[in-house]
Amino acid sequence: MEVLLVGNPNVGKSVIFSRLTGVGAISSNYPGTTVDYLKADMMVNGKKVTFIDLPGLYSLTGGTEDQRVAAQMLRSSSPDCVLLVADATRLEPSLVLLFQLIELGHPVLVAMNMMDSARKRGELDIARLSAILDVPIVPTVAITGEGMGELLRAIEGGQARRSTFRVRYDPRIEAYLEVLRLGLANFKLEHPVRGVAIKLLEGDEAFAEGVPEYILTQVDRLRKEFRKEHGEDLEVHINRDRYGEAGRILSEVYRPKVQPRTRGQRLSDLTLRPRTGVPILLAVLTLLLAAIIGLGSWLEEALLTAYASVTGTFFADLAEMIGGELGTALASGLDLSLQAILAVVVPYILLFYLLLAVLEDSGYLPRVVVLMDGVMHRIGLHGQAIIPMLVGMGCNVPAILATRTVESRRERLILGTIIVMAVPCSAQMAVIVGTVGSYGGPVYVLAILAILLGLVLLLGRLLHRALRFEPTGLMIEIPDLAVPRPRNVAVKTWMRIKEFFVLAFPILLAGSIALELLAAYGVLAKVVEPLAFFTEGFLGLPAITIIALLFGVLRKEMSFQLLVVLFGTADLAAVMTVQQLFVFALVMATFMPCLSAFAVMVKEYGAKGTVLIALASLALAFSLGGAANLLLTYL
Amino acid sequence: MVSENVEEYLECLWELTQDGTPARTSDIAKRMDVSPASVTEMMQRLDSQGYISYERYKGATLTEKGLRIGEAIKRKHRLLERFLVDVLGIEKERSHEEACRLEHMLSDESERRISEMMNNPSTCPDGDPIPAMDRLRPSGNEGTIVLSEMGEGEEGTISHLACDDPQKIRRIIAMGFVPERPLIVEDRLPMGGPVLVKVGDSRVALAKEYADLVHVRTRNRARHRHHGDR
Repeated sequence: MEVLLVGNPNVGKSVIFSRLTGVGAISSNYPGTTVDYLKADMMVNGKKVTFIDLPGLYSLTGGTEDQRVAAQMLRSSSPDCVLLVADATRLEPSLVLLFQLIELGHPVLVAMNMMDSARKRGELDIARLSAILDVPIVPTVAITGEGMGELLRAIEGGQARRSTFRVRYDPRIEAYLEVLRLGLANFKLEHPVRGVAIKLLEGDEAFAEGVPEYILTQVDRLRKEFRKEHGEDLEVHINRDRYGEAGRILSEVYRPKVQPRTRGQRLSDLTLRPRTGVPILLAVLTLLLAAIIGLGSWLEEALLTAYASVTGTFFADLAEMIGGELGTALASGLDLSLQAILAVVVPYILLFYLLLAVLEDSGYLPRVVVLMDGVMHRIGLHGQAIIPMLVGMGCNVPAILATRTVESRRERLILGTIIVMAVPCSAQMAVIVGTVGSYGGPVYVLAILAILLGLVLLLGRLLHRALRFEPTGLMIEIPDLAVPRPRNVAVKTWMRIKEFFVLAFPILLAGSIALELLAAYGVLAKVVEPLAFFTEGFLGLPAITIIALLFGVLRKEMSFQLLVVLFGTADLAAVMTVQQLFVFALVMATFMPCLSAFAVMVKEYGAKGTVLIALASLALAFSLGGAANLLLTYL
Repeated sequence: MVSENVEEYLECLWELTQDGTPARTSDIAKRMDVSPASVTEMMQRLDSQGYISYERYKGATLTEKGLRIGEAIKRKHRLLERFLVDVLGIEKERSHEEACRLEHMLSDESERRISEMMNNPSTCPDGDPIPAMDRLRPSGNEGTIVLSEMGEGEEGTISHLACDDPQKIRRIIAMGFVPERPLIVEDRLPMGGPVLVKVGDSRVALAKEYADLVHVRTRNRARHRHHGDR
């Protein structure tokens, strides 16, 4: 049995998906969190049920890349149940989407989500609505889990049904539909004739498959005729009728309560109005930075101190117990890998993701989008690009996927380049703050961030010029502000940093043990020396750091962790000067994409563009490092 | 209601933009006899209310809505001058000052009658033309205004969408901008930023290029709240 989760963006599909399947899907309070579909198999009462969570979409026709993914999935599959997740507080757009699903003959079941907020705002007669629409409706509150049992039972019980409900269109449109119905009657189509006919009249080419040429010509003629007679496009009129119908139904089943403006609404307004919103935005950003630089450094020190006192002479004893070169290598490899995790992942990366999750769930991000739109236009992007950039401050991989929410390919390329080259991911941030930040002070961190910001602006301007054309405009729905739920924040943060422990730690451990061994037998020095002219001569760094830089290609944070391993101490001030740490951090901040980012870029932008971007960023990183070395040495 | 001060500014802008170029802050300041700083502030306010479109270093141009008001005031001014000089026999120098005050009170109805009584004069005593009264009246889609020109707090119902790019039309339709749906402009962001619109129960930020396509029948202009009312 196959179940597709469909709905407008930001109605809680991913929360319901996680609740139903127990498979974690990242959910946040902004439209466009899910940009690709997610699949999970489950056994329900001995039956295998496959759940598929689709990106949110407003309409089955048109939309951005992520929405097209969803529309395409819907067209090409014939699921046993299309679970429409509706937002009970904003029903009209959900109903309009439902009409389209019904017209295309999908077996539909509705999860009426966000019932808790809806109950506060008015009275919704679910039974009546269900009777009018001829579909089963289960009221739910996904974030608390209310209604999930009934929902699962309804799905498993095969309650999804092909509704007989019909939107009454303008008589003229109904006449057109009748004409097309007769014309199409003898052809084998994937969907009911009426549904296909409506989509054709809407001008959706995706439904033209299997339709003979002469009928398409006829459709074209009808569309032109309608436009001439009504002075309005046919698709506009079709949607006018759909919203009209939705409005009529709503007035029958919904009675809004008059309610005073809440404190939340007032706060929401304050964050949006430029006069108050811009200062709030600056305060939020400052706090974020201060938390990562201040709290992060403090945490790192506290953790390392605690670690030292807990482990004591354990590793020295361990080395002795095993004995020989191997014993030392194993013991110190393990020791230093653990230290590296404590010094990098927990204080900086965990902290950043926690803060990001809080921001995401509060619904604040779309407000940043709105406030920054004007500024972003200057660099050839629009405000929407802020979200991938912020996500990119966590990890570039989801950020590159998130560029799908941006409309044109041109903007996706500009944005992808900026994210890879100039937006520091949390691992890069950890390198910056953990090295030069810890030993040189926050000034150096700010200096690197200023350089990166300059790069964002410069790259944006350059690409904007080079790729010509005007940027397309912003269009985004702004959700209400909400108090983040600790559970979701915790789960999401864990899902995002899990790989640092389960994937990265074994690599780090193996790498460190190998390096320890190589160093012990003097092999390392032989490898490092031929490149010393570059490392020492050009960048002014200790020759051995080239190893750290190389491992940075694998994972960014590993460059920092390996510094710890290579020098055999977590106290980097003892082995490198502040200037060297600055150059190292600057190089890592703009370094080429890590392996995972590289792979996802190839998938999204093609191999050629990706290699180009990677080489460009490598050249940029070394030029910046070399320049910084020169400047700091001779000034 | 539009305040007298706003009307004065729009009238001044109407005159300064007659040559087809944006009005510069310094020229407006000189004409209105106020500081450039207060002109800038006023321009930003008028921009946010949808009367003008203002760019810092370029200057201001009137929107359709601003143009209608600015021209109406100028028209009344010149007609009143004519009336004061020709009918009441007041000196030309004093007629200007007097007309400056009266222009804001004169109803369209009285204006029409004065004009008719004087045989629809075409110039003021200084020889400048008096624009025709019905020049800017929209025909056909009466009372509709483009969403991007609506001021903060203004509400209305979408009347139609005007665009030849089906891709764009589909996107705004999908967002719920469909004829007959109600909307309210909640905010206008500066620096060419988006318009914040509540359409149905959803709140959407819409760039000007999309807001330009949505035509709205406004209603209850009188209910348009003044700042600081609540």
